[in-house]
Amino acid sequence: MTASIGRRTALSLPLAALAVSAGRARAQQKEPFRFGALMPTTGPEAGYGLDFVKTYEMAVKDINDKGGVNGHPLEMLVLDTQAKPEIAINAANKLIDVDKVPLIITAWSSVVKAAAPIGNRTKTLELNMGANSPDIANLGDYVYTVFPLAEVDVTALAKYTYAKLGKKRAAVLYINNDTGIGGAKIYRDVFTAAGGEVVAFEGYDPKATDFTGVLLKARVGNPDVVHIHGLSELPQVIAQMRQLGMQQQITSYSAGYNPKILSQLGPAAEGLIVTSLAPTSAANPNVAKLLELWKQVGRFPNGLPYLQYAWDSTVVVAQIYGWVDKNGLPLTGENCRKALLAIREFDLPMTGKLVIKDDHRIDKPVYLYVVKDNKFVLLDTVA
Amino acid sequence: MTDPVILLQILWTGIAMSSYFVLFTVAFALTLKVEKLWNFAQAGLMGIAFYAMFYTLNAAHWPPWLGVGAAVVLTALVSVAVEVWAIAVLRRRHSSGLIFFIFTLIFSQLVAFVLTLMFGTEPETIFPSVMSPVRIIGGVAVSDWDLQAIGVTLALLAVLYWLIRHTRDGQFMLAVADNDKLAEIYGISAKRAYLLSGIVAAVLICAGVYLYGTRAGVTPDVPIGLVLTAVIATLVGGLGRIFSAAIAAVGLALMQSFSILFIPAKWQALLLYFVLFFALVLFPRGIPVWRIRRAKPLAPVPVTQAGG
Repeated sequence: MTASIGRRTALSLPLAALAVSAGRARAQQKEPFRFGALMPTTGPEAGYGLDFVKTYEMAVKDINDKGGVNGHPLEMLVLDTQAKPEIAINAANKLIDVDKVPLIITAWSSVVKAAAPIGNRTKTLELNMGANSPDIANLGDYVYTVFPLAEVDVTALAKYTYAKLGKKRAAVLYINNDTGIGGAKIYRDVFTAAGGEVVAFEGYDPKATDFTGVLLKARVGNPDVVHIHGLSELPQVIAQMRQLGMQQQITSYSAGYNPKILSQLGPAAEGLIVTSLAPTSAANPNVAKLLELWKQVGRFPNGLPYLQYAWDSTVVVAQIYGWVDKNGLPLTGENCRKALLAIREFDLPMTGKLVIKDDHRIDKPVYLYVVKDNKFVLLDTVA
Repeated sequence: MTDPVILLQILWTGIAMSSYFVLFTVAFALTLKVEKLWNFAQAGLMGIAFYAMFYTLNAAHWPPWLGVGAAVVLTALVSVAVEVWAIAVLRRRHSSGLIFFIFTLIFSQLVAFVLTLMFGTEPETIFPSVMSPVRIIGGVAVSDWDLQAIGVTLALLAVLYWLIRHTRDGQFMLAVADNDKLAEIYGISAKRAYLLSGIVAAVLICAGVYLYGTRAGVTPDVPIGLVLTAVIATLVGGLGRIFSAAIAAVGLALMQSFSILFIPAKWQALLLYFVLFFALVLFPRGIPVWRIRRAKPLAPVPVTQAGG
């Protein structure tokens, strides 16, 4: 199919280009609006962290190319956390005390928690865009999430597993950190409340490489589904489970929606059910644009759904700053919080509508994927 | 959990998983015995060995034997270079033990940072797949990886035993380990013994890294943790006792594996440090059970009988 351009369109193109370049010129003239990002750019979680940062850069460039925030260029300052709370505390202090940013984007539950007291004390708005510990909703007045917490997808998954898949006995295995403990508890409570029985509930050390004991404990309970709430070690747990001859249905959450799992496990990944909290490119053409940008990077990104939230969180920051600027207020954390609650409903390009609730939680549809022929295939959508 | 099949499975997997632990421990204990060196630089060698295999097999697509062989050669060369251009220099300067310790630690951190710049920090495995074919024998799952790990470890320990007991170079290493000054008076080259122990340690490290990296993800900061576990086993086994340290490594691995019967899995890692704590406080020269007494020398034959 060839695209034809009409005369009116042809005439409007230079004007549009002129408007964009004029906007860009204005954006370059005014004082930049800066925000901070605490991300793991080194350490075991850097595979995700670096891709988050790359996506922020893409989003910031997109916003600035369109004229910035009321003519102010948006500027991002990234500091490394290695996904470790002790490093995050130093980084948060630097962003707030030295760089004077009024707003910080964070991810990884332990990092969000570590930065929370600093944000509350200094009245700096902290927006979580990728961590899902349920505790995040209770971290204080200045901590909000734009990413659904574990209760959203894990609740949907646990109910679906019991009601739709007909699984009655679950073993829950989890990495012993904030992400794993919080998610696993929700799965256990929801699955039990739905009428199922949790026959094993075992955490493992984050540095473990042998999961035989944990898996055997699960096997003793004779479960018909094993839910694994892990991180980068997830393929090793699944591999050892299959090698022990355990053929039960395996479920995991959004961390399992990762192409690397397919290459590391091959046929052993077949049947794995994972969650995703963002629509695919088939359902949302903006996602295809994001993927196009990643094609220029030369590879498929890690954790695409998370990157969709990374993009959208940048848009949220721009809208908050825009509201503060439009109302003639100084750009402080207090005013950013005021703006967040005043806007409350955001129509975001990658993940759709976002509503900030008073209890610091948000709702989103949950997309369930199953591995079939070494690909993630949409199984169902739970609204 | 007390089902015999489950206990056998834990025993079997525990033994298989202890393989790389044993190889790292023996490498560490050997260097400690011969060179009197707490060689934390071995973490750097582990990182070099792993990423050499990872690069040659995944990016350059070399055949496995060639990639692993290249990694062994590279790691041994780096080990020799560290010995010649760093450790030997410190030795000539009569540097204190603390300086040696700090140097080896800094070397490993330097290697970790360089590897981070080159390969990033995402966990990688030597082969794209972490799966290994499995057969069920008497209800116990036995994977090809298990057999390979146990076979490689036993073979290397046998070769090491033969080297130490039945070759001149091995005996020279023991002589240098006992007293390097005296050994040199008898014409034994301590320098050669140090180099040889470094090369042997490099080979053991490569084998251990291969086994570890075909089963679990590795990042540049993983090797430091692996060396720490080797240190614990060496201390428990008793300083200067290479094969006792190997047995201690198996014992510690099995203790961790079987602990799942009594404690939650999330506490397993803590056990190692409890053992280290008590070993250091109560048995600073190793737990006595490993001190196998040598046979007493025969009493001198009385002259009368000899003459008799």
